[in-house]
Amino acid sequence: MAIGEKNVMVIGGGIAGIQASLDLANRGFTVHLVEKSPTIGGRMAQLDKTFPTMDCSICILSPKMIECARHTRIKLYTYSEVVGLKGSVGNFHVKVLKKPRYIDEAKCVGCGTCTEKCPVKVPSEFDMGLGMRKAIYMPFLQSVPRMVTIDPERCLYFTKNVCKVCEKFCTSKAIDFKQKPAEMDLSVGAIIIATGFDLFDASIIPSLGYGKYKNVLNGLELERLLCASGPTRGELVRPSDQREPKSVAFIQCVGSRDKRFGYPFCSSICCKYAVKNAVLIKQHKPDTEVCIFYQDLRVFGKGFQEFANRSKSEYGVKYIQSSPGEIRERSETGNLEVWFEDTVASEVRSHEFELVVLSTAIAAPKENQGLAKILGIELDPYGFILAKNAVTGIFDTTVEGIYGCGYCIGPRSGDVPDSVMQASATATRVAEVLTSLE
Amino acid sequence: MKYSFYIGCLIPAMEPGYESITRKVLPSLGLELEDIKGANCCAPFSIQSLDYYGWLVLAARNICLAEKMGHDMLAICDDCFESFTAANELLKKDKEARDKVNALLSDIGEEFKGLIEVKHVLEVLHEDIDLIKMNLRNPLDKLRVAAHPGCHLVRPKAIHQRIRLGFDVMDDLVTAIGAKAIDYPQKDMCCGGPLRGVNDEISRRISREKLKALKAAGVDCVATVCPFCFRQLDLGQVEVKRYFKEDYSLPVTHYMELLGKAIGLKFTESELADHKVPVERILG
Amino acid sequence: MSEVQSQEKRDKVSPVVQGFMNEVASSPRGEGILYCYQCGRCSGGCPVSRIVSKHNPRRLMEKIILGFKDEVLSTDLPWYCLSCFTCVDRCPQGADVGEVMFAIRNIAVSQGNVPKGLVEQARNLLSSGQVVPLTHLAIEKRRKLGLPKIEFAPPEVVQNLLKKTRLGKLA
Repeated sequence: MAIGEKNVMVIGGGIAGIQASLDLANRGFTVHLVEKSPTIGGRMAQLDKTFPTMDCSICILSPKMIECARHTRIKLYTYSEVVGLKGSVGNFHVKVLKKPRYIDEAKCVGCGTCTEKCPVKVPSEFDMGLGMRKAIYMPFLQSVPRMVTIDPERCLYFTKNVCKVCEKFCTSKAIDFKQKPAEMDLSVGAIIIATGFDLFDASIIPSLGYGKYKNVLNGLELERLLCASGPTRGELVRPSDQREPKSVAFIQCVGSRDKRFGYPFCSSICCKYAVKNAVLIKQHKPDTEVCIFYQDLRVFGKGFQEFANRSKSEYGVKYIQSSPGEIRERSETGNLEVWFEDTVASEVRSHEFELVVLSTAIAAPKENQGLAKILGIELDPYGFILAKNAVTGIFDTTVEGIYGCGYCIGPRSGDVPDSVMQASATATRVAEVLTSLE
Repeated sequence: MKYSFYIGCLIPAMEPGYESITRKVLPSLGLELEDIKGANCCAPFSIQSLDYYGWLVLAARNICLAEKMGHDMLAICDDCFESFTAANELLKKDKEARDKVNALLSDIGEEFKGLIEVKHVLEVLHEDIDLIKMNLRNPLDKLRVAAHPGCHLVRPKAIHQRIRLGFDVMDDLVTAIGAKAIDYPQKDMCCGGPLRGVNDEISRRISREKLKALKAAGVDCVATVCPFCFRQLDLGQVEVKRYFKEDYSLPVTHYMELLGKAIGLKFTESELADHKVPVERILG
Repeated sequence: MSEVQSQEKRDKVSPVVQGFMNEVASSPRGEGILYCYQCGRCSGGCPVSRIVSKHNPRRLMEKIILGFKDEVLSTDLPWYCLSCFTCVDRCPQGADVGEVMFAIRNIAVSQGNVPKGLVEQARNLLSSGQVVPLTHLAIEKRRKLGLPKIEFAPPEVVQNLLKKTRLGKLA
């Protein structure tokens, strides 16, 4: 095999990207894992627990992240993006742009002193805007690679030519304000895209109050509040007053199964994570009133219906088959008045909740648009990667040699094992294609 | 800009003050109004409930008259606007319906051609919002206004494709005359007017809920752009007082009146006579 | 013409009519009924349901789907609708209860079921060409305000226009 053919690029360092990288590296391929954020880990790092086993998400993820970092055949390019592509299967030439961290990667030991001293606080993307990070930061404690990054749009040195406190206190002399972006040309035989997903922005539905009312959150925001590494150290407190909510409502199908906003499909994962989070809340504080407003409870697969049943019998989670029509805020308390029809009693009424969590549709990550243009692949009408054959070739994109796995090809049954399974299947596919080119 | 002006039947009969003010305000902003002569009922939702083709031919005949005049139609009532826009968009798109309607129209020598647009005065004013700002002589500083655009302005399906007349449009117009547009949770709620004559009890309970929300928002007045909504919220307060013993004393104005005052016009007593809740404080 | 009956006062259950849903789906403005998946968002936003909680849009759609034709067409159920289109705004499937309501009402009228208040409106329309007629008092008020004389369509034109429609045959 020519040099290029033994090399594979994986774009996206979430669980799918990590799994595909490990599978291919273990088979003897050299993997170039490109991730746009400063660390690999993706959405799974943001989750508190995974269902239905209720394992700590980061605890199962970080060993794999470290394995990636240490693997002799995996080259990590974090804080980097794919900017150009030439060639064809077996012989791709990919241009990768490494954005400047303004940190000498060889010197930074991840001690965190600079972060402590930095005076600038910025809403943390990792914490979904519910917590703060600094202008010099590590997205989360288990970041891989374990080093900081300077955000030039917020750093006082870059914006106002003052400060430089980080440089003053760094004992490793790792700060390098003069660092430039670096462009690399990588020769690879195949490319796997694993760019994950974004969440539908529910503020486009005014009747639900997302974006307007402080105590209306989406699923990922709730995960960050429940997570021990989150902005509230795992205390479920509501954004408006930092008090623990006595009642929480989950609203399913927000954006999904809806012809109006571009997500007419079922997002597959939301009923499952709502049940999981409902149980988590009950485990935190058993006397919290937790209601899930659902249309259909889609918890398919081994273990899930049982989990949903236990949530009712053991934890007392309430289920109401109804999609609420309106949410109104009581401005004095920040509580939400949820108007719905109790479809069993055929009665329209309202119930006050202290916190509302919207299970929003799974959306294609915005990066897919730009990436599709660079790679020459087609996207489906929802922005997910279009499969060459929806039945027998779901991991194949419309360009030979380029594949997709995980959420970026669309939500399927959706949970973490599913993404892992897809990643392994895609890795096998790539290995098959590349070895057959010999 | 010239418009085929459709006045409807409620306004001439019951709110001539609103008509008089409209006929002063719009021309002073450069909007020329040419009355549609010989217009018939627009076929509002109540008539639409009775018969589909009955609605379409009634609406279509008026559109034909406007087409012959050669200008877009201007409506100052939400119900008229809804009926015409829905009919206009439908007849433009659906050939089968158009053929059937034209067959009926031919009995009176008319033909729907799909040549014009139907506009509500709110969208016309918003399109030329700078005109208002330029003519602002008397900004309504510190006036807290709650906008009530009305259901048939913001929600008919027919306008979803064209423009989505959001509540922001009306808020923009309130801000443009120097007043403060106050947000409140039930802004998109119906006034309850359509159930008048069918079930007055539910109708007044709905207007009461709306009035309660408006009062709770702490506003100086409510602005409407539909004579039905106006009547329901203004005259409706008399009823709410009688049946629920609740006195809101909330001035309800037509946006046109606030606009008129802001551009320096003065109104006569008889022009403001339609108001049941006194408005001297706001418009005097 | 028979008066619509109060749905709450009826004491017999309506027999099921197969195909009623399809009849509604093929009536003008009734197409949406096919897409309803009974989520209840319409009811959650309906101003009428907040006051009379059993009169809710989802339930009406359910009755149509299940084929309770008689109950839907001969009671006051569909006439409680404000046609405020809040349900249309909320519906994720384009089932658009507010539109289906018009189809139901049209069918009900064709079978002779109309609330009294609306019959009067229809009669006004056919005799004067307007739903709200111009009284002498109103004409006097207009004259005092210096408003132009209103020229409405002659009632004969309206009657002629409507003679072949159901509306024309109503009064």
